[in-house]
Amino acid sequence: MNVDALIAYVTTTPLTWIIITISVYKIGIILYEKTGKHSLLQPIVIAYLIILPILLLAKIPYQQYFASVSILHFFLGPATVALALPLYKNLKLIRSYFVPIMVTLFVGGTFTILSALGILWVLGASKVTMLSMTTKSVTAPITLITAHDIGAIPSLAMGFVVITGLLGASFGTFIFKILRIKHDEAKGFALGLVSHAVGIARAIEIGDNAAAFAALAMGLCGVFTAILLPIIIGFL
Amino acid sequence: MLRGILTLLLFQFIGECFVKLFELKIPGAIIGMVLLLLFLGVRKGSFHALDTSVFWLLRYLPLFIIPAAAGIITQVDTISKEALAILTSLVIGTFLALAFSAKLIDILISRKENR
Repeated sequence: MNVDALIAYVTTTPLTWIIITISVYKIGIILYEKTGKHSLLQPIVIAYLIILPILLLAKIPYQQYFASVSILHFFLGPATVALALPLYKNLKLIRSYFVPIMVTLFVGGTFTILSALGILWVLGASKVTMLSMTTKSVTAPITLITAHDIGAIPSLAMGFVVITGLLGASFGTFIFKILRIKHDEAKGFALGLVSHAVGIARAIEIGDNAAAFAALAMGLCGVFTAILLPIIIGFL
Repeated sequence: MLRGILTLLLFQFIGECFVKLFELKIPGAIIGMVLLLLFLGVRKGSFHALDTSVFWLLRYLPLFIIPAAAGIITQVDTISKEALAILTSLVIGTFLALAFSAKLIDILISRKENR
């Protein structure tokens, strides 16, 4: 028996961290389904809560972890391209509600970014935090590929995305009730626009119309933020 | 399935090439996504292999996010220093954004229906 060789293999092979990462996500899915798909117990949140302590305890440098699991990261690119299909399928909704959708997309989307930045600015946050906040309402893959281009920190931006998703899913129904929002389409659109995929999960619980509008809002918000944000920030 | 994966990779590749060639500041995958959207529009629909690949990729999307998301462990300093600003911005910002967007589109839809 050669224990040293075993330890050397286990600590250097990418397989170790790939297996841990996939397992953690699988645990997330199992717990999510066990709790009846509670919209706040998204698999990604559970996976986060397990993997972060493991990484800290293992004292593995982040670069080394990332290099080990970079094969998983690779799929973000094709997955972003894949978002075209659900967007295409929901795009027919635009025809009947063109003006409400486009106005809310641009005015609501801009308001979302500026209100968050305003609060950060008043409370004296750093520039990099503010840049990382600009993509908080965008779906995660688009956040990650955009954050790098605009000088934000992708992982920080990603943290903001996850928290924004959870907050939107928790506040949503309460806000809609006090503001007396009448249309399910409006509820869905706002949820998808502000809280991306977690918002869609919440909208599915409201109904089919809400879910479709949430998916449409997330897709449009992602595309327009990714295209306009780098251009606007390039001018500043 | 393979034709679907190939389609996605090709569109991403074309998008990235487009960005390099025209020195755009937009992520290449987004250009690839918009091009695929146009392609689906021209073709008037998807095909089985693409449907299958997209279903598979989007189903496991959160898994592909974990490697980059875990980088938050390198940001502990920034977060603890600016915790109050970040939390306030996230909580109040999300609250305001949801209220504003929902009310705006609700009014616009009502107006359209009353016409």
